[in-house]
Amino acid sequence: MLDFQQHIITDIIAGDGDSTSSSSSSSSSGSSSSLVILSSGLALPKLISALLHLHSPADGSILLLHSHSSSFPLILPDSTFDISSDLPAHARTSLYCSGGVLSITPRILIVDLLSERVPVSKIAGIVIPNVERITETSTEGFIVRVMKGRNGNVWVRAFSDKPHAMVAGFMKVERIMKCLGITRLHLWPRFQVYVSQELEKDPPVVVDVRVPMSKYMVGIQKAILEVMDACLKEMRKTNKVDVEDLTVENGLFKSFDEIVRMQLDPIWHTLGKKTKQLVSDLKTLRKLLDYLVRYDAVSYLKYLDTLRVSESFRSVWIFAESSYKIFELAKKRVYRYVRSDGTKLDDSSKNSTSRKRKSKGDDSNEEAGSGGYGLQNPASSIILEEVLEEAPKWKALRELLEEIEEERQKTTLPAGQLCDNGEENGCIVLVVCKDEHSCMQLQECILESPQKVMQAQWEQYLLSKVLLHDTQTRCKKRPKSAKGFGILDGIVPVTPTSSTEASSTSTQEHDALLAAASEIRKKAKADLAGKTSMPQIGTEGQGKVMNKRNKKPPRNNKSSQVRKHKNKASANKDQSMLPSEDDEQLGEVNEDISDNHSGDAVIDNAAAHLGPSGNNDRKTDDVEAIRTKPLPQVQFYALESHKSVLDVLKPSVIIVYHPDMTFVREIEVYKAENPLRNLKVYFLFYEDSTEGQKFEASIRRENKAFESLIRQKSLMIIPVNQGKLGAGSNFNLEQQASQNSLTRKAGGRKEAEKEMQIVVDMREFMSSLPNVLHQKGMRIIPVTLEVGDYVLSPLMCVERKSIQDLFSSFTSGRLYHQVEIMSRYYRIPVLLIEFSQEKSFSFQSASDIGDDVTPNNIISKLSLLVLHFPRLRILWSRSLHATADIFYSLKANQDEPDETKAIRVGVPSEEDMVDNDVRAENYNTSAVEFLRRLPGVTDSNYRAIMDGCKSLAELALLPLDRLAELMGGHKAARTLREFLDAKYPTLL
Amino acid sequence: LTKSSGQSRNAILVSHRQKGNPLLKHIRNVKWEFADIICDYLLGQNSCALYLSLRYHLLHPDYLYYRIRELQKNFRLRVVLCHVDVEDVVKPLLEVTKTALLHDCTLLCGWSLEECGRYLETIKVYENKPADIIQGPMDTDYLSRLNHALTSVRHVNKTDVVTLGSTFGSLSHIMDASMEDLARCPGIGERKVRRLYDTFHEPFRRMV
Repeated sequence: MLDFQQHIITDIIAGDGDSTSSSSSSSSSGSSSSLVILSSGLALPKLISALLHLHSPADGSILLLHSHSSSFPLILPDSTFDISSDLPAHARTSLYCSGGVLSITPRILIVDLLSERVPVSKIAGIVIPNVERITETSTEGFIVRVMKGRNGNVWVRAFSDKPHAMVAGFMKVERIMKCLGITRLHLWPRFQVYVSQELEKDPPVVVDVRVPMSKYMVGIQKAILEVMDACLKEMRKTNKVDVEDLTVENGLFKSFDEIVRMQLDPIWHTLGKKTKQLVSDLKTLRKLLDYLVRYDAVSYLKYLDTLRVSESFRSVWIFAESSYKIFELAKKRVYRYVRSDGTKLDDSSKNSTSRKRKSKGDDSNEEAGSGGYGLQNPASSIILEEVLEEAPKWKALRELLEEIEEERQKTTLPAGQLCDNGEENGCIVLVVCKDEHSCMQLQECILESPQKVMQAQWEQYLLSKVLLHDTQTRCKKRPKSAKGFGILDGIVPVTPTSSTEASSTSTQEHDALLAAASEIRKKAKADLAGKTSMPQIGTEGQGKVMNKRNKKPPRNNKSSQVRKHKNKASANKDQSMLPSEDDEQLGEVNEDISDNHSGDAVIDNAAAHLGPSGNNDRKTDDVEAIRTKPLPQVQFYALESHKSVLDVLKPSVIIVYHPDMTFVREIEVYKAENPLRNLKVYFLFYEDSTEGQKFEASIRRENKAFESLIRQKSLMIIPVNQGKLGAGSNFNLEQQASQNSLTRKAGGRKEAEKEMQIVVDMREFMSSLPNVLHQKGMRIIPVTLEVGDYVLSPLMCVERKSIQDLFSSFTSGRLYHQVEIMSRYYRIPVLLIEFSQEKSFSFQSASDIGDDVTPNNIISKLSLLVLHFPRLRILWSRSLHATADIFYSLKANQDEPDETKAIRVGVPSEEDMVDNDVRAENYNTSAVEFLRRLPGVTDSNYRAIMDGCKSLAELALLPLDRLAELMGGHKAARTLREFLDAKYPTLL
Repeated sequence: LTKSSGQSRNAILVSHRQKGNPLLKHIRNVKWEFADIICDYLLGQNSCALYLSLRYHLLHPDYLYYRIRELQKNFRLRVVLCHVDVEDVVKPLLEVTKTALLHDCTLLCGWSLEECGRYLETIKVYENKPADIIQGPMDTDYLSRLNHALTSVRHVNKTDVVTLGSTFGSLSHIMDASMEDLARCPGIGERKVRRLYDTFHEPFRRMV
C-alpha cells in the first residue's frame, strides 16, 4: 500500500472515528460519511478492498452496493457474502446480522429494507463504489434515507474515480452528497502533493515513440476535422445550443454527445431535421477519427462503405467537399486502378490531398469519370491493383520489440537464465491496446506477417462485395444489415441510396472491383473444396488482379527524437510498379506458403506467448535483415477487459499501443508499488494525430474537473445536522411529506393523517418511481405481482411503461396481453405512459406523422389498443415526479389496496377460482379465451359464435354451413373446420 | 342519432360545436360531416370523442366535466382527445387526467393538430380491425396453433398437448371427449381433467 493511499484511508476512518469507536456514548454526534473522488487509475479498487479488510465484524455489517454493470476488480475479504435474490428471506436476514461484508444490489436491499427484513441496528455502514452513476432519484439515495431514518449511526462511504463525470450537470456533487447524507468530500487529484511526490519519486523510464502517419492518413484526418468544424459551425447557427462547449476538441470525446443531447433532448421534437442530422453526423465523424488510428486500411474502407450505404441522403457531411476526400483517400490506402498496360490512371504518388478534377482523363475524379471519360479507351480495360497500406504503427511495434530483445540480450545475458528459472514473467513485454480486436490483429501481425493480415482482410472485403452485389441485383432494395452507427435514434429513416455505388465509382472501376472479387470467391470456393481453411495467397497472378503487395512504409519512418534505430533497412521501396516484380513477388509468396506450413506448430502452442526462440519471422518483404531477429515474449492486453493485469503479469517492459490516461496512472502506481523493478514504458503515438491530442485533452479535462470540484467544495453549504440525519430529521422528512400532501389536495385534511399505501411489484425497483413515491410520503409495499406493476386501490391497477418499453412491448405483443389480464381482474385497469423529464414530451413531431394511417405508427397501435379495451384508462405523465403527483391525486378518494389480495390476483388458487375476476361471473372465461385462439375466429365474429352455440363441445360438432352462417363467411368457417378436424401428426 | 348514422356509416360525424376548429382540416383520410350530436366526434356506433385543448382547459377548468356528464352512458369507448398546446403541462394535464379517469373516459394526447386528427381518423378506420398487429408475432403451423389454443386452459402444458393430440387424433375429438376418456390420458390429473372438461362443456355465457 502506498503512502497516499494510507493517507486517504486514515482520512476516511478518522472522520468516522468518533462514531465507530464510541457509538454508544455519542450516538448523535454522528457518523460522518464521506465521499472520495480521486483521479482515474489511482487504484481505487485496491483502496476500497483495503478499507473492507480493515473492518471488524464487531461494529456491524458493511453493505457493499454494487451494480451489475460495474466491472470492478475488488479483492474482497473472506468474510464477504454475496446476497442474491436466490437466498431465502430468513437466510438474508441472518446474513445482515452477521457483521461481515455483504455485497448486494441496491434493488434487493431496498426491497428487504421496506419489508423490514434488515435489522438496521446491526448495520455499520454502506459502501458505494461508483458514485458517479447516482442521481437524486436513484435507489441508493432511497436506501440511505430509509436506513438513516431508523439508525442515524450508519455511515456512507462513496467513491468515484471519474472526476469529469462528477462535474457534469448543475452542482452534481453537492446534490449527490445531500441525497446520500454525506458531509465530507475528499479530493485526491493526481496533482495532489502526496500523490505526485510519491509517484514521481522514482518514475518508470518513458520512451515516447512518435510514428508518423502515412500521407493518406494525414489527409483523411485533415478532411474529417474540416467536416467536423463545418458541422459545428452549422450547429452554432441554429441558436439552440450553448456555443461555448462546441469545440472540435470537445468533439473528440464521447461525452460531447451527452453535452449536446442534454441541451437538445427537451426540445428534440421541435428541432428541424437538419439539426438532428448534424448531431448524428458529428457522432459519426468522431467515430471515423477514432477508427482511423485503430483500424487497418481495409476495415476502415469497409466501414466507410457501410456508412455510405446506410447514411441517410440527408446527411450533411457525406456530400461535403471534404468528405469526398475521406472516401477517396481511404480507397487509395487499399487499392487503385491501372490500365492493363500498366500505366497508372491516378498518380497517387503526387500530392493527393488536393483534388484533381481532370488530371488524367479517366477517373481521378469519380463523378466526372463516370461514363464519359471511359470512352476514351474502352479497349484497354482497367484493372485493380492492390495497395494494402499497413498501419505505420505495426512496423514500429515490430521494430520496437526487436530492439527490446536485442537490448536485453546485449546487456544482461544471464538475464535469460534468470527468466528461465522462473523469475516469474520478469521478461514479459506487455502490449496494451484499446480493444480485443486490435489485440488479436496485432498478435497476428507479430506471429505471422502484416501482409498476411492485410491480405486476409482484403479477401474478406472483396468477398463481401460480391455477396452485396448479388443481393443487389436480386432485389433492388438492398437489405443492408449494417445500419451504421451514424443514426442516432431511428428518427432518420434509412434510405439506402442504391445508386451510390454506381454513381460514385466509375462503372469501369466498379467492374474491375467485381472482377477481382469474383476471382477471390472462386478461389475461396476451390479452397473450401480442398479443405483448406485459409484462402492462400499467391494465386492472384493469373487472374485479372495483379498482386503487388506494395508495402508502403512511412516515408520518414522513425524520425523519432528519442530513439535512433538503424533502420535504413526499411528503405522506401520504389512506388512505381514494374511488371517483373510481380513474378518475383509470386516466388516469395510461394516461399511464404511453405514457410507457413513449417510454422504452424509454433503458432499453435505459442498463440499468446511467443518464445524468443520459437519464432521465425516470416516477412516476405525486402527487409531481409530483420528477418531472423528474435522477439521477446509478448503478452497482449485489451484495456476494455478491465483486469488488473499489471499485478498478475509483472511485466518489465510495457508498450502502450493505444495511449490511455487511466492506464498510464496504473503504470505509475504499479511502479511506485514495485520500486525495485526496472520498468520501461514505450508510448506509440501517431505524430500530429488526434490520438495524441485526445490523450492530452483527457488529462486537461480531468484537471479542469478537479479544479471545479475544489471550487465547489469551498463554496459548499452543508447543513450542520446533515451528518446526524437521525430519527429527528427523518421525522422532519415525514412531516414535510404530509405538509406536501396538504397543499396538494385542498381540504383533504382528514386523509392527511392516514398514511397512503401503494403495492409495488418487485421488478419495479429498477426504476426510481418507488423512491419518488416514498419521498412524497407514501408507504411502499414491495411484493411480487402477477398482474400489473402498481396497485393503487382494490379497484385500480397500473401498468407502467416508459416510452421505450411502450414501443417494444407493442411490437412483442406483451402490452396487449398485460392489458388483457389487467382488465380481467381489476375494475379500473390503467396504462401509465411515462415520458422522461430530460426528453421531449411527445411521440413524434408533426412533420413525422405522414399522410396516411399506417399500421406501424404508434398512433395506430394506441388507437387499436383503446378500441379493443374501452375500459382501459391511460395516464400521460411528463416525468417521474408528475407520475407521483398523479398517483397521489388518484388515491385521494380510493380505499387502500390490500397487499395480500393483490399478490393473489391472477394466481389461480387450488379451486381454480381466481379472485376478483370481473368477467368470471358472467362468462366461462377459459372457454372464451380458448375460442378466441382458434384460427378463423376473429374479434368481430367470436360473439356471434358464442350466441349461436352453447359450448365448445357443441361447436366441435357443428357442420360447415352452420359455422359459415355464424362466422359470416365460408372462408373463415372452412379454416376453423379444417383445424378442428385436422389429423394430429403421429409421433412415429 | 340513429338517423344520421344510418345515412353515412363510413363518415365521422362532427358536432356543430366544432365548427371552426382547425383540427377539421387535418381529417383527410376519412369523410366527415356535421351532425346534431352530443359528443364532439362520433367515431362509430359505440365510440365517441370529446376534443379539449389544454389552453382552453386553463381558461375553463370545468368545461370538460360538464361535457362528459352530457354524454351519459351511451358509448362503450369514450375518448377525451387532449391537444397539448401549452408549455407548462404538468398541472393542467393532471387535472384533465383525473377528470377523464374518474368519469370513465380514455385519455389520448396529441401534440399537434395533425396528431389529433390522425387519432380520430385511425379510430374510425380501425373500427372493426382485429388486434393482431399489436398481439405480437404468431406461428401459424398446426402444432403451434394447437399449443396456443390448448395451453390457454390453465395447467395444461405442451406435453399434455402432445398426449391429448396423439390420444384423440384431432382437436374436435379432444373437445368432445368425456371425462373418463380425458382421465385415461397419462399425465392428465384430476384437476386438469376438470379444467378441460369445464372449458369445453360449460356454456360460454353463464346463466344467472
